[in-house]
Amino acid sequence: MDSPFFYRNPAAPAAPSGPLAGSKIAVQPNLSVAGWPADAGSNALADFKALEDATIVKRLRQAGASLCGATRMSEFGFGLRGSRAGEAIRSQAADAELVLDLMGESRLAAIRAAVCGFKPSYGLVSRLGLIGLIPSMESCGLLAETPATIRELLKAVAGQDCLDFSMPDDEPLDLAPQDIDPPKTTIGVVAEAQSGLTAEQEALFRSSLDQLKQAGFSLLEMSLPEFSLFSLVHRIVGSVEASSSAGRYDSVRYGPRAAGAKNWNEMYLLSRAAAFGPLLKSYLLQGALFQFERYEAYENACRIRARLLRQMQRLASRADCLVFPAVDGAAGGGPPLLADTYGQFAWTLFANVTGQPALYLPPPPDAAHAGLQLAGARLSDGRLLALGEHLVNLHPRGK
Amino acid sequence: MLFSARLFCGQLSPDDVGRSVLLAGWVDAFRDHGGLMFVHLRDRSGIVQIVFSPEIAPAEVCQRAAALHAEYCIAVRGEVRKRLAGTENPNIETGSIEVLVTELTVLAESDALPFAVSDKAMVAGAPSTSADNVAEDLRLQYRYLDLRRPSIRDNLILRHRIFQCVREFLDSRGFLEIETPVLTVSTPEGARDYLVPSRVHPRSFYALPQSPQIFKQLLMVGGMERYFQLARCFRDEDLRPNRQPEFTQLDIEASFIDEEFFYELIEELAVKMFAIGGIALRRPFPRMTYAEAIETTGTDRPDLRFGLRLVDVTDVFSQTNYSIFRQILNRGGCIKGINIQGQSGKLSKNVLQNEYAREIVPSFGAKGMTWMRAVDGSLESNIAQFFSRRELDSLRKRFDVADGDVLIMIADPSRAVVTSALGPLRLHLANRLGLVPADSYCPLWVTDFPLFEATEEGGVTSSHHPFTAPNRTDFDPNNREELLKLRSRAYDLVVNGEELGGGSIRINDRQLQRKIFAALGLTEEETRQKFGFFLRAFDFGAPPHGGLALGMDRAVSMILQTPSIREVIAFPKNRSAACPLTGAPSAVSREQLAEVGLLNLGGPDALPGTALKENRLDHLSWVSRIGVAEEERAMIEDVLAQADELALLASQKAGAEQPIYSVAPVVNRTRPGTECQRSERARTGELLAGAPAVKGNYFQVGSILE
Repeated sequence: MDSPFFYRNPAAPAAPSGPLAGSKIAVQPNLSVAGWPADAGSNALADFKALEDATIVKRLRQAGASLCGATRMSEFGFGLRGSRAGEAIRSQAADAELVLDLMGESRLAAIRAAVCGFKPSYGLVSRLGLIGLIPSMESCGLLAETPATIRELLKAVAGQDCLDFSMPDDEPLDLAPQDIDPPKTTIGVVAEAQSGLTAEQEALFRSSLDQLKQAGFSLLEMSLPEFSLFSLVHRIVGSVEASSSAGRYDSVRYGPRAAGAKNWNEMYLLSRAAAFGPLLKSYLLQGALFQFERYEAYENACRIRARLLRQMQRLASRADCLVFPAVDGAAGGGPPLLADTYGQFAWTLFANVTGQPALYLPPPPDAAHAGLQLAGARLSDGRLLALGEHLVNLHPRGK
Repeated sequence: MLFSARLFCGQLSPDDVGRSVLLAGWVDAFRDHGGLMFVHLRDRSGIVQIVFSPEIAPAEVCQRAAALHAEYCIAVRGEVRKRLAGTENPNIETGSIEVLVTELTVLAESDALPFAVSDKAMVAGAPSTSADNVAEDLRLQYRYLDLRRPSIRDNLILRHRIFQCVREFLDSRGFLEIETPVLTVSTPEGARDYLVPSRVHPRSFYALPQSPQIFKQLLMVGGMERYFQLARCFRDEDLRPNRQPEFTQLDIEASFIDEEFFYELIEELAVKMFAIGGIALRRPFPRMTYAEAIETTGTDRPDLRFGLRLVDVTDVFSQTNYSIFRQILNRGGCIKGINIQGQSGKLSKNVLQNEYAREIVPSFGAKGMTWMRAVDGSLESNIAQFFSRRELDSLRKRFDVADGDVLIMIADPSRAVVTSALGPLRLHLANRLGLVPADSYCPLWVTDFPLFEATEEGGVTSSHHPFTAPNRTDFDPNNREELLKLRSRAYDLVVNGEELGGGSIRINDRQLQRKIFAALGLTEEETRQKFGFFLRAFDFGAPPHGGLALGMDRAVSMILQTPSIREVIAFPKNRSAACPLTGAPSAVSREQLAEVGLLNLGGPDALPGTALKENRLDHLSWVSRIGVAEEERAMIEDVLAQADELALLASQKAGAEQPIYSVAPVVNRTRPGTECQRSERARTGELLAGAPAVKGNYFQVGSILE
């Protein structure tokens, strides 16, 4: 387990040309690269090899990037247990990494690796060839040293894919560099997003805000009284969708089949018992509970989701972007528990519920704060990354 | 306190100015202006503002007034006065006056409320609050508070008015209100019965009536001639959003009458009932035979508020070269269509082809559909080139086509498939295109239903029930063809596509009844077993009679235009047929089961109601086909317990917003420039490379050993 890589590409990079020429990119084994093992971190897909390139992979290659390997990941990318995301950049084995963001994994991985982490707007990047888990919330996250690199990557992979029929008909985004004029830029601060922080975390967040003020931005206090409900909605809707998504791992089309079953039903029960780890299994059974016995809870969660989405859109429309604490709420050791996993992502999962873009910026070297999490309205990715670039350039990082 | 002098809040008027009054009711809302205290006092009749002023009320009264909270039950004495100019409140009926309080009695205090009861703003121009977006289960759990809200109160008052109107009208026509038993026998027909165990007769059961059908006919045999009842009926059916396990129907039966009697009677009654909701129905109600309803609207519950009638064009294509139509016609099929006039702007080629032809029409059971748009004097379509000029001209004439019209046609070897797909399509189009006029009511009678339907076994079965009279009596009970052509003397009252009620003239001649049973293939012995005591009554000179039943909850809901029938029922069950207020249905004690002889019915383990429920985790593990190891159980049980809390929280916070399932829904799943094609990897078998076992070009699984 020493290497962060699950699989390393033995092929030498082809003669590069294109905007990403020369850059090395690591993916996770939930993204199809023809011929590479793609187990999505789960026994359910052990030994599965991808047949084709995912759309993202094709586009990265077309832009001249070379794929250097797939990093170890948590089961289906849910949480960060077992994930080594971010380490390939730290060790300079890769210039950028793709990390599935179900509830904030790419941003938390970026915190751990002290690099930039970005979750694009929902639906902006094709998911064809991605082994997902929560279809209405997931995005392929991007990790790199700078927002500028992320912007270049996003430019290469974003946009319509006629083979991904889950993509909404959004207009193409303008991802060209933009100038930021701090005095004319308002950054919203949602008061309720700070509840649950420890005194120390809160102090760090305050000093992050001070940094924004010193940089000339005007801060606007905002209120979203129901912020704590994001976690409720994610937990209910996410588990129902995961439980449906995981239905396909049936040991018939792929995945190992358990021996000794007397009939089809037993084959499913035994194979799927072995396919999923305890954390994911508890999540899937929770989803089954909502689907089969308490469906009204799922519908209610979708109602709350509608309300939260509307409220968040209203806040986002009053500022150029919003700033949130960047906190890894990890509970420490012990067995993997669902409640702890959700606690860990309490400050990031809102963006998955609303589908808005979110960017983590690490603190400048030696700074006494914790980095920033910026979020904007859906499809404001270009603006958000430009803002990130501006902020990073205030304190150039010495290598 | 003597309440005999009490007046009603909502009935005070400027005429009462200067009068000393005693009022009682609930604190609807209050405003404290630093010593000066305004309260909205509400009773069933309405709201009046009462004022606690330190200049008029004793200090001690003002002190107690300051401690009032919402929904405290109080009585006050005071003087009516005109409000100062500019402080009138148009939100309430008594907005031009107020009562200056001199005495206050707190009759009962109230806890903090689970939701706001008040919906009348205290000052002009302020937005009114409303509990409409409170989760319905919470409203039902505290239904007694919900009933205090004026909207629900008004619904129940009007429901009472409608019921009174029914009683007075039927009384004036010589009908007697007679109650029939609620504890009765299980009938072999219809939906599932609710059963009630008998203690005196262990292991025997009463059934709650699905309708008083049998008793009302026996009342006619008993010479009551004209009967009605606002009867509670019970049906243990599958859950539907707007269905209640118990409901109220107006049940009517009369002797020595024919169909015209009921048309006249019910039309007059319906006009009176709808008038209570301010809705004028025009008489006479149109009548439509079942056959015409199916042919022109695709349903036996036609919604006549809009056009979009179905038109038969089978003959237009009798010589067609278009192979799909020709094959269908060769198999005896039919082609029908709808002209959607002037809607080509909203029904683009893309919408017609990708939404309607690909997704919507197939979901209604048809294999496909053909569309044409009338543009610049010609009919354009993706298949227009397959039709001859003569066919296109005939279509234009038949549908009376003008530019901007859109034709949709469905062809199928089965006429039933064509009409049953066009019926819902007609509604879908009308809703989507906004063709249904608001506040419009189109009642009609649907008549001449088929008496029998064909069964798959080659016999026939009653469409309604076997006591319904046929349109003629000289049929041969063994001639299936002839039986299927018989019409019944049944009639349905349909309003805006909803069946409000229905009934029929019954058979009173025992010879004819025998013939019907013979047609149904029942032997004498079987009929005696099934309908014994009932048929015996017809051996003693039964009068010609008939009747009808109207669903009153549905009718009241339609008249009051409420979003669900639960809004017009005082204590309804929720969507899951449960009562959040009382917790019904609930488990019962072993002692109760033992008393009615239901313990150990099917062996030592079967304890209905109190039987050990199957472990929930085992159940979920089974339905999701995920095995759970012993050491995983405790952790997963914890997660499920937390899930219950999440569900509870979600129901408390749900609100009334429409649920969303995606933050960026996909409008059009068909992408330009893509074509359906078989994957090359499927052909080569490469697609199966990840499968654990393959046989030939298929996945392999073990044989079924069960």
